[in-house]
Amino acid sequence: MPSGALLLQSIILGLLLGGLYALLAAGLTLYFGIMRVVMIAHSAFLILAAYLAWWSHSRLGVDPLLSMIVTVPLFFACGVLLQRVLLARLRAVTLTMMSVLLTFAIAVLIEGLLGYVFTGTQRRIQLGYGSASFGIFGARVAVVKLIAFGLAAVALLTLYLLMKKTTFGWALRATIQHRDAARLVGIETERVAGYGFGLGLATAAVGGTALALDTTIYPSLHWHWIGPLMAIIVVGGLGSVPGSAMAAMVLGMLQSLLQIPLGTTWAQTIFYLALFATLAFRPQGFFGGRLAQRF
Amino acid sequence: MTTRMKRIQWMTALGASLTLALTACGGDDGGSAGADDPIVVGVSLPLTGDFSEPGKGVQRGYEAWAKITNDKGGLLGRKVELKILDDQSNADRVVADYEQLIGKDNVDLVVGPFSTRLVVPAARVAEEYGMLFVEPAGAAKEVFEQGFKNLFYAAPAVANDHYNHLAEYVLALPSDQRPKTAAYAAMDDPFAQGTAYGLKEKLEAGGVRTVVDEVYPPNTTDFGSIAAKIAASKADMVVGGSQYQDGVNLIVALQQLKYQPKLAAFSTAPTNPEFAAAIGNKTEGILSPTGYTQDAKYPSNTEFVEKYAAQFGSPPEEDEANAYTTGQVVAAAVTAVGCAEQGECQKKLVEWVRTNTVETVVGPLSWDETGKPKGAHMIQQWVGGKIQIVLPAAAKETDLVYPKPAW
Amino acid sequence: MPSASEPTTAPATTSPATAPPTGAGTTRRRTADRVVQVVAVVLLAAAVLAFPSLAPNPYILSAGVVVLNYAVLSTSWSFVGGFTGYISLGHGALAGLGGYGTALLVTKAGLPSFVALAVAALLVAALAVPIGFAALRVRGASFVIVSIALVLILLLVFQSWASLTGGSRGLVVPRPFPDLLRPEHHRVFYYLFAGLLALALLAWWMIDRSRFGLGLKAIREDEDKAEALGTPTFAYKLVVFVVSAAFTALGGGLYALWFGDLDPVFQFSILTGSYLVLMALLGGVRNLFGPLVGALVVGIGLEYFKVEFGDTQLHLVATGLLLALVVLFMPDGVLPAIGSLLGRMRPAQNSIREVTAAELRDQRVAAAGAPAAREPVDAVASTAGERAQSTEERA
Repeated sequence: MPSGALLLQSIILGLLLGGLYALLAAGLTLYFGIMRVVMIAHSAFLILAAYLAWWSHSRLGVDPLLSMIVTVPLFFACGVLLQRVLLARLRAVTLTMMSVLLTFAIAVLIEGLLGYVFTGTQRRIQLGYGSASFGIFGARVAVVKLIAFGLAAVALLTLYLLMKKTTFGWALRATIQHRDAARLVGIETERVAGYGFGLGLATAAVGGTALALDTTIYPSLHWHWIGPLMAIIVVGGLGSVPGSAMAAMVLGMLQSLLQIPLGTTWAQTIFYLALFATLAFRPQGFFGGRLAQRF
Repeated sequence: MTTRMKRIQWMTALGASLTLALTACGGDDGGSAGADDPIVVGVSLPLTGDFSEPGKGVQRGYEAWAKITNDKGGLLGRKVELKILDDQSNADRVVADYEQLIGKDNVDLVVGPFSTRLVVPAARVAEEYGMLFVEPAGAAKEVFEQGFKNLFYAAPAVANDHYNHLAEYVLALPSDQRPKTAAYAAMDDPFAQGTAYGLKEKLEAGGVRTVVDEVYPPNTTDFGSIAAKIAASKADMVVGGSQYQDGVNLIVALQQLKYQPKLAAFSTAPTNPEFAAAIGNKTEGILSPTGYTQDAKYPSNTEFVEKYAAQFGSPPEEDEANAYTTGQVVAAAVTAVGCAEQGECQKKLVEWVRTNTVETVVGPLSWDETGKPKGAHMIQQWVGGKIQIVLPAAAKETDLVYPKPAW
Repeated sequence: MPSASEPTTAPATTSPATAPPTGAGTTRRRTADRVVQVVAVVLLAAAVLAFPSLAPNPYILSAGVVVLNYAVLSTSWSFVGGFTGYISLGHGALAGLGGYGTALLVTKAGLPSFVALAVAALLVAALAVPIGFAALRVRGASFVIVSIALVLILLLVFQSWASLTGGSRGLVVPRPFPDLLRPEHHRVFYYLFAGLLALALLAWWMIDRSRFGLGLKAIREDEDKAEALGTPTFAYKLVVFVVSAAFTALGGGLYALWFGDLDPVFQFSILTGSYLVLMALLGGVRNLFGPLVGALVVGIGLEYFKVEFGDTQLHLVATGLLLALVVLFMPDGVLPAIGSLLGRMRPAQNSIREVTAAELRDQRVAAAGAPAAREPVDAVASTAGERAQSTEERA
């Protein structure tokens, strides 16, 4: 039986990890909602953002958080372009399959370019406060992890407010729910879809910066992220942002707790077990998501 | 199926036949041996992919060896020429590479690649073509359990023996000072695991209880949970079977949790020149085994360090030294036997290496019948802001600090 | 097998498949095509079989084995990807399972190498049933997600379960012919792979001509309509997935016997799966020899990139770019696109049907010269003619 302190420590780590998963899964869910696209390249963009944060810190001496001033708008533009220039070209009939291949190709492309420019060496931002931490109830919370979590939480909240309180959010939700109907009431669904994609990719920029604060990055790291993220959006019910956030927190917590008895490697399998279980017993997901039935 | 589709289909088949035929004719043969031709030494290295960083170190070591050898007139009066292929850190590729080097390019000698994962498949190719195979980086004990007859590891000791001196030291401590519990965390890699488990076996036999035994996959980037387990166990000593970045991450994660062991040992990572900066200079007291030191007094080492620094602008590290050692072993065999080509000559080379001792930059090396070197690693410790040899007593630069100061 | 699942074939069964439908001109063209077919197959077989004696050195021979292995795997992939249009990125995992299955049956159970290979393929086929059940119950997107997840979870399992699989220390597969020298070893395995490829191509060809194949293509075209018309879509998808898994496992197992060393990182790699997709798409998934051609092009291309840009990651960039270009501009395959351009100077076929509306119109125009009463049958007979035969056999 693990000690109380270890349990508390794991719960805290699980929460912090789950927050990051939730932010990243929100982006994936957006894409899927808008275009029924499984965006394999999402985590590759995440790593790209992390590299940009690392690069700006180590080469330009800027705090990695400041790199977001550039990366967030840049990724937003990339997302719009990706949707308007590439994905919109694909035939509607085979869109789901071909978009997977296309975004897969983009992921491989980004990985290759990162490897070409920055080599395959593992990188880590060396911050002055890298090993600083503070204690609560006998557990310790690292400052960098808390900053990462804070970033994720703020970004998610912004996304939530944007979707619930603004006209654009209203149009985006309408586009997700029923594209044809949205067009009929006068929403420019094409443009809204493009902006939605930009928004999704902007979350990857924030997530990447958060990621770069406390972990090592290397070009092929994105494969390590895309698996859990895809599992999360299926378990959460494809297309449902709150559902995927719930799933992210639950699975992140489970992963963290399972590491105590099972070790790092086996604990990762929880994502895939949850994925298979969901598809076999409840394909529409566990946390809502009306879209999922058909996909 | 319509006529047109069918026609396309069969035209495709025709195209396939043509392509095949063209491919078959495409290959060309490499050079053949002659008295004035250079001795071509073939090697495949992970210049891209997961092992690219140490792979490039090994490459520099080989290049330094070729240059230094050629500056002194080459081998048997012939120049040494390296033929280096990239295996992308991939076992399929490493085999294809050695296949190409031996079968197509017809090289005279081959030397080993980097990483245990790649050494075994590569050694099999060399073995089945009857080539001598001296390698700089297959330290895990599994390498020597494959029944290879042509393989020799050009370093003082295999992974499981790296901590032998430290194990002796710990077990010799008075029982009230000796650590009672130990935590182990090792990367899932034959080499890294080998170092940690070699120490674990010896300490367990000596009565040091294992309280944490974690294995993490090479792609692990977040060490929070592992560190939490180690910290919660309050183990007296922590041993990391690490490569480089994972060791750094684990140490930082342990520091974030304010865990203070009496003894901390990590393989490979602490000897890296960037290590101190990477963990914020909180290095005091960290131990690490090493098979090579730039300050070693062997005559060839003085020459190596000096000329290497002139060629690359910085002193050599362990990967470079191991590659250089490999070159030295092959060169010694070639000089003694007096030949360097494929065929019968390779048998004589193998025979010579098996029965002789070679003076190298890491000291005199000799091998048992499985190709395992008969030596042990030195133990280094960060003392006073720099890493120094503390064990064995005969080679030490300073005394081992125990228990280690807080980090 | 349920009958009459595809109403459009019904009229075709009444007319003999080999009957010349549109007059003497077509007959002559068909005879010419038959000759081209025979010549092509003979040439292809001859080229494949002659390759080992033409190969100048063992390295080229071993590269030939690798390419044939790719050809086997991508042909196996196209059973699912080509017939049903369900794109799997996880076939690398099935090949890895076949390899590890074979190796473990040889080392732990002491089976003879090739018995182990067959048993391993059967086991993987059995395992493919639950995997397919979870993956195929839902449409498109989830299938791809599951296929990728399959690779990732198997990688974790085979790495962690070191007591069985050897984990990161790898697993050594005993040689089936320990006495052979390496070049001979390559030669033997080259012919074994060629045999397996022939078997896979034959299976593909038979499914293509069967009623079963027709049902699968109906799924590709419009799954809802196919289901409404009575095709047991789920069962069909599952069966073809299992067949594909079995062939993939055979390919992977044979590779393990040839290669001799297994490492989870390389056996369960997403990149392998993506190469298979790229090969099949590049060659054309609707085409019997498409995956084979794709394997030749990609296999040789990979080699070329390694030689030209060896010490960079540009091979990944090239793979990504090529895949993106194929998906965007030539989703039916590069070679069929070129072939149809050369065949007739008209725009490349851009419908996913094998008979485009334009073609149907052409046929009608051609048939207008023939007796008018036969027209409606002709249009269908030319598409479903050969299949009618096998339908009758099954009935």
